[in-house]
Amino acid sequence: MRPGPAAVLFAALGATALLAERWITVAAIAAVLLAACLAAPAGRRRFLYLAGASITALSVFLLTPFVETIGSHPLWTGPTIPVVGTLDVTKEELAGGAVAALRLLSVSLAFAAYALLLDHDRLLRSVRAGRRSALAVVLATRLVPTLERDAAGLIEALRGRGVAVAGARGHARLLSPLLAGSLERAYNLAESMESRGYGRPGATRALRPPWAARDWLALVAAAALVTGGVLWL
Amino acid sequence: MALATVDRLSFSYPGRAPALRDVSLELRQGEMVAVLGPSGSGKSTLVRALAGLVPHFHGGRFEGRVEVDGMDTRRVRPSDLAGVVATVFQDPEDQVVFGRVEDEVAFGLENVGTAPHEIAERARQALAVLGSEHLLGRRVAELSAGELQRVCLASSLALEPQLLLLDEPTSQLDPETADALLRLACGLGVTVVLSEQRPAGPLEVCDRVLFLEEGRVILDARRDEAIRWLARHRPAYLPHEPAVTSTSTTGPIVCRLDGVSFGYRGGPPVLVDAGLELRRGEVVALAGPNGSGKTTLAKVAGGLLQSGRGTVDRRGRAVYLSQDPGRYLVRERVDEEVALAVGGDVSRAAPALAAVGLSGFESRHPRDLSSGERERLALASVLVTEPDLLILDEPTRGVDPERKDELARLLRAQAAQRATLVVTHDLVFAAEVADRTISLGATEPVYV
Repeated sequence: MRPGPAAVLFAALGATALLAERWITVAAIAAVLLAACLAAPAGRRRFLYLAGASITALSVFLLTPFVETIGSHPLWTGPTIPVVGTLDVTKEELAGGAVAALRLLSVSLAFAAYALLLDHDRLLRSVRAGRRSALAVVLATRLVPTLERDAAGLIEALRGRGVAVAGARGHARLLSPLLAGSLERAYNLAESMESRGYGRPGATRALRPPWAARDWLALVAAAALVTGGVLWL
Repeated sequence: MALATVDRLSFSYPGRAPALRDVSLELRQGEMVAVLGPSGSGKSTLVRALAGLVPHFHGGRFEGRVEVDGMDTRRVRPSDLAGVVATVFQDPEDQVVFGRVEDEVAFGLENVGTAPHEIAERARQALAVLGSEHLLGRRVAELSAGELQRVCLASSLALEPQLLLLDEPTSQLDPETADALLRLACGLGVTVVLSEQRPAGPLEVCDRVLFLEEGRVILDARRDEAIRWLARHRPAYLPHEPAVTSTSTTGPIVCRLDGVSFGYRGGPPVLVDAGLELRRGEVVALAGPNGSGKTTLAKVAGGLLQSGRGTVDRRGRAVYLSQDPGRYLVRERVDEEVALAVGGDVSRAAPALAAVGLSGFESRHPRDLSSGERERLALASVLVTEPDLLILDEPTRGVDPERKDELARLLRAQAAQRATLVVTHDLVFAAEVADRTISLGATEPVYV
């Protein structure tokens, strides 16, 4: 599937999770998005996204009963705190917290699926207007992984010399060489781009194959999801 | 008829000594010209002058005249020369713009205004010429060094240039891949200017040789004549028998790997049940094609990677020289960079720098050094620690043949002090420096 329709579909799933009233709908969306994320290649990044989404959702579930004051079926009553009032946990607060956590989980997983599964270069290149801006964004999105790789390389080279990089101060010392290396890399890339004609007037764009049936299907599904989320789900 | 003319060209980068001095030459249609010379002799600058990048991109003081296909490079921007001239630079990773192979190859075609319906087909053809059509649809990040270099070359070929400039395009490739790439470039029928530090391949396929030294062309001759000249004046640039006779050693074991297996997260096993024994006094070369697990084995030996299975027994201090000299540019001065591994003791930096031929560079900024000089700085940065186990990963990359011979002599001279493991594609260097060579196979699990 093309990244454009896929991005719209993920956005629609996230929006539907926010709009739908039934918890089972929200849970189903979360399950679908979780399955999509798990289909991404294994690696540290997948773990980070899933861990981030889960921890955030769990935090919302745990905190909601203490900040809401609804329900008439208390499960636990705690001390009274000035200004805040009496702490209690009701069945209704837990249910509300669970739905809020599921909504947040779904939205987070939609972002995670977008980040893990889509080809961002392709997505940006599909934007017909603003070629230079799109290219700048393409290169900027590569900055973080490149810096990560450069930092890992610097640390490994230092370890190879028997120099340990420890603590915030040790890592902070790498910022200057990382920045210098990043600038040097950018300079080399700019040189290469200019030698390949970048900046010359009259640039064209390669033709893209027409959308396949599944791309259109994704768009229709996205529209149907949002409409269904508002009206029935 | 001359495709390009360089007339009395002198050039200095801003605030630096002249990189080119009074260079004059003509490039004819269809000829393949090898540009040889020591690190910092002006080879890359000459390539950049022919591409118009000097002076437009780099600034500096430019005297003389360069014309390519009738266009004066002072009046035409490098982007306007694209299509007539195409350049492949040393480090493929610094040239890649997009994440997909077909987008990357199409980038130049789009820039020069190729008709949209032709772009995909020309990109495909360029890859097909290099036998790399199967790379279409692949992510650039997943390519091997050899595949990435082919994509960079395809990106240039897609432009159908008249003049193809290759600046050390094989520096990261194993000998087989490098030879294949050079033969491909040779068979394209366009004028090729090839700057190289590994002269054996270019000398086999070129028509003509330029030899630069301190910015001057001191040799401009047809291939046969050039080989005779090199034999007389620069024998290190010709294939030669190893200068050092290997010696057997019975020193104590410094590092022993037994039944070691390793795989990177989410990937297939790189090492399976590998073993290695390194003794004090011996130099061992680890050779093999790209992707065969050489670097991984070396890192496990050096303690930078922890093996999942097997035992690693290491005695004494181990140091590892990364194959990327850009990772040894942490400090602001060369001597401080070297002293970093010895607690900042700058007095120990001078002998280490002298050992690698960088005396007098102490106060320079490491980033001001050429690629060959950076490689030697990195070497000094690990030698200064006087380790028991010295592991060098591709230490001859970007190093000219004469420096390479010096490095071999240095490692041999210090061999008795430690165990030395050299990971290298350079089989001539391996033969010259090593007591024994271990060859790892490609793609298959490694059984050493």
